[in-house]
Amino acid sequence: MNTPSSVHLAKLRETLLMMSSLADRNLNLALKSLVERDSKLAETVEAEDSQLDQLEVSVDEQVIAHMALHAPVATDCRFMLVASKISNNLERIGDQAVSIARRAKELNGEPLLKPLIDIPRMGDIALNMLRDSITSFVYGKPEITAEIIKRDKIVDEINRQLARELTSYMMEDPSTITRALNLLLVSRCLERVADHTKNIAEEVYYLYQAKDIRHATV
Amino acid sequence: MHAPNNPFRKQVTANLRIEAGINWLLRLCAYAIVIAASIIFLTIFWKGSKALVQPTFPFINIGFLTERPETLHVLEKEGSPTLSMGDREFREFEKTHDISAYKKASYVYAAGGIFPNIVGTVLLVIGSMTIALVLGIFSAIYLSEYSRQGPFIHMVRLAILNLAGVPSIVFGLFGFGMFVLAFNWGVSLLAGWFTLAFMVLPVIITASEESLRAVPKGFREGSLALGATQWQTIRQNVLPYALPGILTSSILGIARVAGETAPIMFTAAFVMRDEMPWQVKHFTDFFFQGVMALPYHIYVVSSKIPQNEYTEKVQYGTAFVFLVVVIGIALASVMARIKMRNRYKW
Amino acid sequence: MNENAPAVKPHHTVNYMSESQASESARPSETLAIEPEHHKRARTLIDIEHVDFFYGKSHALHDINLKIKEKLVTAFIGPSGCGKSTLLRCLNRMNDLIDGTRVANGAIKIHGVDIYNPDVDVIELRKRVGMVFQKSNPFPKSIYENIVYGLRLQGINNKSRLDEVVERSLRGAALWEEVRDRLHDSALGLSGGQQQRLCIARAIAVEPEIILMDEPCSALDPIATAKVEELIHELKKDYTIVIVTHNMQQAGRCSDMTAFFYLGKLIEFDATEKIFTNPSQKQTEDYITGRFG
Repeated sequence: MNTPSSVHLAKLRETLLMMSSLADRNLNLALKSLVERDSKLAETVEAEDSQLDQLEVSVDEQVIAHMALHAPVATDCRFMLVASKISNNLERIGDQAVSIARRAKELNGEPLLKPLIDIPRMGDIALNMLRDSITSFVYGKPEITAEIIKRDKIVDEINRQLARELTSYMMEDPSTITRALNLLLVSRCLERVADHTKNIAEEVYYLYQAKDIRHATV
Repeated sequence: MHAPNNPFRKQVTANLRIEAGINWLLRLCAYAIVIAASIIFLTIFWKGSKALVQPTFPFINIGFLTERPETLHVLEKEGSPTLSMGDREFREFEKTHDISAYKKASYVYAAGGIFPNIVGTVLLVIGSMTIALVLGIFSAIYLSEYSRQGPFIHMVRLAILNLAGVPSIVFGLFGFGMFVLAFNWGVSLLAGWFTLAFMVLPVIITASEESLRAVPKGFREGSLALGATQWQTIRQNVLPYALPGILTSSILGIARVAGETAPIMFTAAFVMRDEMPWQVKHFTDFFFQGVMALPYHIYVVSSKIPQNEYTEKVQYGTAFVFLVVVIGIALASVMARIKMRNRYKW
Repeated sequence: MNENAPAVKPHHTVNYMSESQASESARPSETLAIEPEHHKRARTLIDIEHVDFFYGKSHALHDINLKIKEKLVTAFIGPSGCGKSTLLRCLNRMNDLIDGTRVANGAIKIHGVDIYNPDVDVIELRKRVGMVFQKSNPFPKSIYENIVYGLRLQGINNKSRLDEVVERSLRGAALWEEVRDRLHDSALGLSGGQQQRLCIARAIAVEPEIILMDEPCSALDPIATAKVEELIHELKKDYTIVIVTHNMQQAGRCSDMTAFFYLGKLIEFDATEKIFTNPSQKQTEDYITGRFG
């Protein structure tokens, strides 16, 4: 099929994939800049976030144009809604990456508070969640969703643990407050990323199964 | 069925009674037509068959169909059976017998057959229909395809309509004045053809226009949009599909051409002619000869000669044959139409 | 989108795209090229300038100005009686067939030549500007004879040439596979959608430059409509297409440019996407949203 409509849809999918690819890269770079203490990478992340913003706008334009011109129904109709939401979540992930990069820049100027163990672990989980949710979108595997949601809970748990741990640091030695707060913020950003990927996974589930599983136990 | 509050319960109302009355009135009118037609046809068939059918082999009186009209001679003598014979037979008889012993009575046209009349009628129909169809179809094409609709075309249409209302005797007089006298064609096939053609022209033109209009506009537009000229379009994509319809409607014209007496009595018909139409010296003479025709023969035998039992047989026989001929021609054109319709179906 | 954006490399563990897909998607300028840009580049083929058109005394078109671009699909939309079909039929002078019609002002130029100029040969014009009608009108002849009708009119009777044209046209109209075994059967045995595609094949057999379509799908079911629309999309490569449609979705689906007419006036003419997402005229918006009146 090479109808104008299918060409349009393919282009929209491509734009979404590009966004996910960019978000994935930015998050990866931000974490790398934190772990490897390389502020240059953090600057790249900050500089390139605007691409994601533009792509988000482009997705919405495409969605509106497709709805106006092709009156999509069924899967295509759901795809319009889902595409817009996925792009929004991806853009938010990009924003979190920028936020992490900023924290990284600050942290890199000072000695390490403690060896980074939990944060890279959270980062790995969140990145893999993002990749898995995009996989489920590309290959139409909504069954991955449940597993992604479970991982979101793990990230939440690590975030809580880390918060407790960092609070104790701050109580023991007030000079660590700035660094501990920054780490806390990074942890919170990663927790947010996991939330966004969970949202994406839920949207993908809705796209393929036509069932809304938000705010419900699967 | 007796639901207490049946809103659809049958009630005999005034409207219902009127409805039933109207139904019967309409039905009776339709039946009256059938009865009238049956009486006419049955009378003609019954009485006509006396002249045409015989009890012995080959059951059909071939002579009536293949011979010329002759005078019937009836000879009566005391003590011997009554003899009735045609003119030629009578002349032979005269040579061998003494006819003064007989009481003799002669009746014109009561013997022989009506072969020249059949031939004449067929010739008149074929010729005049050819002329009428060519003229009619061409003018219909002009009127419905080429002309711009305006006051002039409106007048032409009105003229055609009026022509349809002109009594046939007026056509006869017109043909006599125009073709027989002014063109000096004499009483001839040609004059008859044209007179009859003009008489059916309104029917043909109207019918042709109707049929041309029935061809979907899409055929014309489709053809023109492919770069066809108007004539190419009409010839290839309109006329072939209109022809069956035109033929159907001209059947009506055929019946009229074959049946009219008035137009031909001044222009083409002879009461009696000895030669057959093909017995001419030069082929052009063919067009300038008068012919005998069935309707005119009926007119002559039933109103111009003394009536008696012998002429009655001929009258009805001729009418019978006449009907059969008209039905035959009509059937032929129906067949042509069906054949064409099958070729071009849309 | 920045054209010089660095290519995004797949560098993650979970590979959701193959390498080639990823690099393909990493060419933002191409994936995001918005069509109207391309439309502006296209050459103007039909130039309608200040056209006023009359049916007798009724003023059917008021001062129409429109530039139809080459090898694009231009849709005319608007409520019944708005003049869209009238304008379409002006483009190959089919209105000449109706008594009392005239183009009172202005000019319709194709390749810069005013087609209402007295020394324009209408027959030649109609060969260059083909037309497909609302009601499919195959002639009651065989499929083969339908296709070659236009060629026979031009006096072409060479069997091998005709065969070639029949195959090319039917392939062009995506009908060849369906009818190749019954070319000599009556065209009236085809389904409605096939008949309409046959009419399109018949139109392209005479190799026109422009194809006018007057509500080509109004009598077709959705499947047949989709096929014709797909065909329009294919034909766009070789022909300039002008389509009149009552079905706004159809204009959205298959046209590049859309002109909205109302009461004999051109209200708005723009890229289809613009018309359907953000029309600049209130009347256009009211019409396409179904809030008319």
